[in-house]
Amino acid sequence: MTFSIIARCPTTRRLGLGIATFSIAAGGRCEGIRHGVGICKTQAYINRGNDLLALQMLEQGLSPAAVMKSLEANDPDHEFRQIAIIDREGNACAHTGSGPRPWAGHHIGDGFVAFGNVLAGPQVIDGIVKGFLAKPDDELEFRLLAALEGGRDAGGQVGGDGHLPERSAAIFVVSEPDHPDIDARVDLHPEAIAELRRVLEEFKIYEVFYRDRGYRPDLAMSQAEFVATLSKRA
Amino acid sequence: MTYTILGRCARTGRLGIGIATFSITVGRYAHSIRSMVGVTVSQANANENNNQIALRLLDQGFGAQAALDHLKSNDAYHSYRQIGVIDRTGAAVGYTGKNVRGWCGEMVGENYVSTGNGLRGQHVVEAIAKAFLAEPDADLEHRLLMGIEAGRDAGGQGNATTHRTERSAALLVYSRDPYPDIDLRVDLHEKAVDELRRVYVEYKQYEDYYRARGEHPRGAPSQEAFMTTLRKAS
Repeated sequence: MTFSIIARCPTTRRLGLGIATFSIAAGGRCEGIRHGVGICKTQAYINRGNDLLALQMLEQGLSPAAVMKSLEANDPDHEFRQIAIIDREGNACAHTGSGPRPWAGHHIGDGFVAFGNVLAGPQVIDGIVKGFLAKPDDELEFRLLAALEGGRDAGGQVGGDGHLPERSAAIFVVSEPDHPDIDARVDLHPEAIAELRRVLEEFKIYEVFYRDRGYRPDLAMSQAEFVATLSKRA
Repeated sequence: MTYTILGRCARTGRLGIGIATFSITVGRYAHSIRSMVGVTVSQANANENNNQIALRLLDQGFGAQAALDHLKSNDAYHSYRQIGVIDRTGAAVGYTGKNVRGWCGEMVGENYVSTGNGLRGQHVVEAIAKAFLAEPDADLEHRLLMGIEAGRDAGGQGNATTHRTERSAALLVYSRDPYPDIDLRVDLHEKAVDELRRVYVEYKQYEDYYRARGEHPRGAPSQEAFMTTLRKAS
């Protein structure tokens, strides 16, 4: 029970991942994103080694389709996995095995993959795609967030006992090798996607301040002074 | 303003970090562990590249002190940084540049670094270290969280007349795998350390289930079914 999107921004080449699920702390199981290499995200029944193994193969130059074949050959339970892969050029590949609980499926678009399991139906994937494509000129992190909101608003997750709320959610965007641009998480919340919007919007207010005080600490004001400028503006 | 405990479990070699701060989404700066290699942190006007540089140096075989020396010689603004490093042998070092704001400093011993800036005083890092050392046989994640909570209870961030709350916090532990054992976050909350404890307690109930369903998906119970066993147990 999860719905996710992995994507590459065609103008900036930034790579990003958005995920929302009933499970707790899903953002802590998303190591498979690396600048200049690509993204792999395994979900449903997670083989924890998969995503880092896939990145190693992408780094060696294998295509997403070739990587998927190797993951299959390496995993006797491949049919229980849902996997999406994208390389640094935006080439994409996806696998939804017969094992993940219904409704499960994926959509491969131009430079992105929307995928999920234990969903209300295919309309959830449609909602993710629609949300992602709605504002192509927005920053990737906000396109990913709109995609998650689109999936939620199309019905999200439905298990044996009915609708399941999103209890955790996360967005990652990378454009540097050694640290993420965006790494925003909600690990346990009754409305995790709404809370993720709150976290992301707040972070964007601080983003440049945090970056610049690292670059030129000799010129930086204190955070207390920065917060005071915010309250003046508001 | 931030306080942090870096720790290594002498029994298992597991490595971890607990961190809490007034800044938001601090977990973004805590991708600072490599399994069986080392753990580091760069805070106060953080140089965002430092963590990965330090881990690569440790991976090449440099000890904690040599890695720290390299970071300083590589950074024109190191006097604005606060850095901690533990290597795979448990050797630990801390550094606080002379231009870091507020009360700032560290307590360092074998297998731990308690470090912070913008704190109410020396007693905060002492309380963190004491709590971390109190239960050497307990799981590392428990010891790290106890350390952070002790920092909060000792007054945390601020100065003689003011107090600044923790708005974000994170807890990460790596064992032998290239991905984390524990990776929990609170990115924006008025009492982030309290909230981190809530997330931790909840996550710990699911930890084994999440691992088992990935390793043995055939016949794994659904999460809804698993949760009914939790309700029965409680």
